[in-house]
This record gives sequence, structure tokens and C-alpha cells, in this order.
Amino acid sequence: MGELRKSFHEELDEIQAGIVRMAALVTEAVPRATEALLESNLELAQQLITGDDQLDDLSVYLEERCHHVLALQAPMASDLRALSSALRLNAELERSGDLAVNIAKATRRIYGTRYDATLRGLLVRMSEEACRLMRLAIDSYVDGNAGLAAALDDIDDQLDGLNRDCVQAVFQAHNDGSIDLQAAVQLCLISRYYERIGDHAVNIGERVVYMVTGWLPEHTGSARLKIREHQHLDETGGGAHEGPEIYLTDETDEETDED
Amino acid sequence: MIVALVVVAAVVGLVLVGAVAWREHRHFVDAEESRRRDDELHRRHEDEVAESEARLRLSLDAITQGVVMADDTGNVLYRNSYARQFTEARHGEALVEAAVAELLAEAARGRAVEREVELFGPPRRCMFVSAMPLALEGRDYGSVALIDDITEPQRLDAMRRDFVANISHELRTPMGALSLLAETLAGERDPEVASRLAMRVQAEAIRLSDILDDLLELSRIESDESSERAPIAIQHVISDALSRAKPSAEEKEVPIETVLPALDLVVHADRRQLTSAVFNLLDNAVKYSEAARPVKVTTRLEGDWVEVEVRDQGYGIPLGHQERIFERFYQVDRSRERTDGGVGLGLAIVRHVATNHGGEVRVESTVGEGSAFTLAVPMSEILQPVGARS
Repeated sequence: MGELRKSFHEELDEIQAGIVRMAALVTEAVPRATEALLESNLELAQQLITGDDQLDDLSVYLEERCHHVLALQAPMASDLRALSSALRLNAELERSGDLAVNIAKATRRIYGTRYDATLRGLLVRMSEEACRLMRLAIDSYVDGNAGLAAALDDIDDQLDGLNRDCVQAVFQAHNDGSIDLQAAVQLCLISRYYERIGDHAVNIGERVVYMVTGWLPEHTGSARLKIREHQHLDETGGGAHEGPEIYLTDETDEETDED
Repeated sequence: MIVALVVVAAVVGLVLVGAVAWREHRHFVDAEESRRRDDELHRRHEDEVAESEARLRLSLDAITQGVVMADDTGNVLYRNSYARQFTEARHGEALVEAAVAELLAEAARGRAVEREVELFGPPRRCMFVSAMPLALEGRDYGSVALIDDITEPQRLDAMRRDFVANISHELRTPMGALSLLAETLAGERDPEVASRLAMRVQAEAIRLSDILDDLLELSRIESDESSERAPIAIQHVISDALSRAKPSAEEKEVPIETVLPALDLVVHADRRQLTSAVFNLLDNAVKYSEAARPVKVTTRLEGDWVEVEVRDQGYGIPLGHQERIFERFYQVDRSRERTDGGVGLGLAIVRHVATNHGGEVRVESTVGEGSAFTLAVPMSEILQPVGARS
């Protein structure tokens, strides 16, 4: 068994390294997309669009690897959570990579647009902020730092604020006549893409919290719903609610954590 | 008799047995001895190997290049300290590690491969990864991968390319004008027009020679780090620079005010270089000022530093450009270059002079209000009242 467990943990380490590599591809793609956009660099935009295939390939590989380990080793408790989290992170990162590609594609659509200093500054800051969030999310994942992971939601507020400012600046620039309607629409979408990358980083943070503690923000909502249902049943005089247990972790699960 | 024979036989037998036993013992002792010698040799050999390996490891750790060795299946056997930083990397650098693994696998198949990994960071870096199979006299020893940080060489290369492109552009423009003017001049019959054309030829020639002078000056200052230094009063430097800047200032009707300290501030400097730096600051201030907006030169002592501040009330420099104006050929507004005649070498000269003298040059500027450039150089210990020196 000892030998088997060792190889299992080696598998887990390799999956983690794969997730880190995917995140690296994303945090490298985002500033590239921004440069392609601001410098109207179509060649770089095309490179990014083609380069996303690498991320897709890695994503498919990691997913298969996770399924393989799940099927053959039937892990439990924290090991199971680590694997299911890796699957979720994989999806979040793959989607973030797609958003960077969306920026590159938008670059092609609005080729030749000249951005004023305010807009330029806001786009650069959004790009940096989105990358910063993604880096922090991966740091929390590798370190198993639930505190940092939980803080990401609050850190993301800044990016949300930048998104609002950016949309405002786009309207302003359109009103001044410095950009046309097509560019204005695309730029609002681009701003939204950066903001979504930040959201994916927050999702990663939530999954890391789940991986470490077994708790998800959705648990609170789920518990609220159950209480409401109970109250409703009590009032209508119906029998006790015998629904399935929604929690993926319970106390016995926590006890078997250190196997 | 028989008894005697038996005794003799017994004695002989005993002696023989004794001899055999003794030989056995000798054998045993010899074997023990030789085993000990072998052990000793083996241990010494092992020590030598360990020592040589430690020496090799330390040497590999000392180099600023990543070295990763792998066996013939591509499994990593050893990483030096530079290469280890990438194994724990979480962000962009993780891609370097991935590239190393891929290239090692490729090298294990017997092919030398290389790849550039560009990282947008921040910080922005460019790594060059190469891997090759290790084989000697038909025997396969696995493969090795090398990681090089080529960020700096690439930056220098880009700078050199920019420089050549810029200088060609700067020289070609007046050359083109000269050629066209000469062509027109050759076919011109009217002496009045001809003389006007000749004057323009002269103006373009002066422009060209100014660019060349600046370039020569810059290259002289750049290569001449240990130039001739002598104690010199900063007041002399200011007055030299003022007399050089005066003609253009008068032409543009920009007054120059000077504030000099009561004491001779003496610096240990190359007079020609320092004059050139102050002149360039003055020349820029005049160039970017409108008529009747005075340029003020203030010389003062700040701690151990002699500071020369040149303040104008000109166009000012946008914040985003302030970092870059000290680069060669950098122009805030390219469209103004034609009318004002600068090519963007002046501030590069100032910065080099400042660095050569262990000082610095600073800029404060607000668009529409003007700029203030401060050249600071360390003061040497001599401090004398004005007039005490010639």
C-alpha cells in the first residue's frame, strides 16, 4: 500500500505542476494580449490565438490524468478534494485563457484605433490587476493558503472598480469622437474580459478554500434553503424532510483527513 | 631402534604439521593485509571521487547559467543552483521548467534542440534554453540542458539597432535636402535665387555638422571615463556655457538670468565635459522657451553637492516622457524637431557627464509651466571667496 500511496502522491504533485503551468500560460497570455491591443500588433494577436491550442491540449491532458487517478486509486477526503479541485481549476484556467484570446480577437476587429492616455492607462492597469489576482490565486493553491484564497474576493473589488471606470472612459472617448461605435463596443467587452479573468481567479480562490477546509460559499446558501424548507414543512404539518445530504464533507470526512 | 624411528617420524610429522599451520597462518595474515590495503585504496578512491564531485557541484553552482543533466530516458539527475530556481517557480518561470523537460526529452532521442522562452513577467525576461545529447565514443551518457538569461544582451542589441536606425535617419534627412538643393542650384540662372539656395545649403550643412559634433562629443564622453580632472570653480564653467548659449538665446529673444553663490564652489572635474553639459541644458531651455520667457540658472551648494539648476518657463515635459528624455535620440514631440533643430542627443550627453563625475541629473516639469533640470556633482573640499582665484 505504501508504494501505491507514494505513486499516488507523485501523481498529485504532477497534476499540481500541470495546473501551475496552465496558470503560467494564462498570466503570460494576458499581458501579451494587452500589448497586442495597445500596440495594434496583429502578429502578436495571431500568436496568442494559435498559442491557446497549447493551453487546450494541456487542459485535456490534465483532465484525463485526473479521471485516470480518480478511477484507479479511488481517493478519499482531502485527496479527493485535491483532485476535484484540480479539475475545477483546470476549467477555470482554460476559460481564462479563452478570455485572453477574446482580447486578441477584439484587437483584430478594432485594428488601428487610437486610445487616449486615460483609456490606455486603465487598460494597462486592468491587465496588471487581472494578472496579479491570478498569481495570488495560484500562490494560495500551491501553498494551500485558505486565508489568501478567501481574501481574493475582496481584492477583486479593485478590478471591478477599474472595469466601471474603463466603461465610463470608453463612453467619454466615444462622446468626444476619438473612437467609433464599433471600437467602443469592443473596448467595453475587452474591459469585461479582464474583469472576468479576475472573477475566475476568485473562483479558483473559492476552490482552494474548499480544498483546504472542505467549505464552499455555496454551502451557506444551501443550508439556508434547507432551513426554509424545514420551516415550511413544519408550518404545513408535513413529515420531516428526508432529502439527501448536500454537504460533500462532514465530520467523519474531516477525521479521515490525515490518513 | 624402532622407537627411535617412531620418535623421528613423529618429530618430522609435527614439524610438517607445524610448517603447514604456519604457512596457513601466513596466508591468512597476508590476505588480511591485502584486504586492508584494498579497503584503504578503495576508501581513498571514494574520497577522491567525492571530492571531485563536490568541486564539480560547487563550480556548477557558481556559474550564472542553468545546467540540468538527465539520464538517457530524460529523467533529471542533477540541477545546478541557477536551474533550481525554476523548479519551484509558480508563474511565468514555470514555463522555463516545462521547456527544459520537453527539450531534454527531445535530446534523449539524440537531437540537439534549442528554444527561446519570452516571459512578459513582470519583470520581462527572455530565456534561452538549449539541450543536447551527451555521447562519447559511441557510449550514451544521457543529455544536458542549459538555461541562459538573454534579457540584457537582447535589450542591448535592440538599443544598438535603434541607434543605427536613428542615426541613419537623422543623417539622411539633411543629406536629402542638400542633394535636392544642389540639384536646383545647378539649374538656377537667377543669381538672387541662387544665393538664397546657397544659404539654405549652408544651413543644412551646419545642421549636419552639428549632429556630427554632438555624436562625436557623446562618443568621446562615453569612452572617456577617466578624463583629465582638475579642480575648477563652477562659476567658470557657467560663464563658459553662457557665452556659448548666448547667440541662440539672443536670436530667440530669451533672456538668461544667473544666480551665482558668493563663494567659489570648486569641483574636481573635466572642464570641457562639464561646460558641455551645462551648455546643453541651457541650449534646451532656450530651444523650448518662447520669446521673453526668461531662463534662470541657479548655482548652489546642497550638502556636499554643487547643484546647477536650469529653469525655464517653456512647454514642459509630459510625465510619461520624463523617464525617457535622457535616452539618445529620444524626442518628446517629433513634429517639433524640424523647427527647433534638436536631434535628441543633448540630454544623453548631460547624463553621461553627470555619471562620469559621480553625480546625477534630475528633472521636474509641468506641462505648460516649464521644466527645471538640475545637474548635481560632488564638491571637492576647496572653498574660496570669489576673486581669490584667477
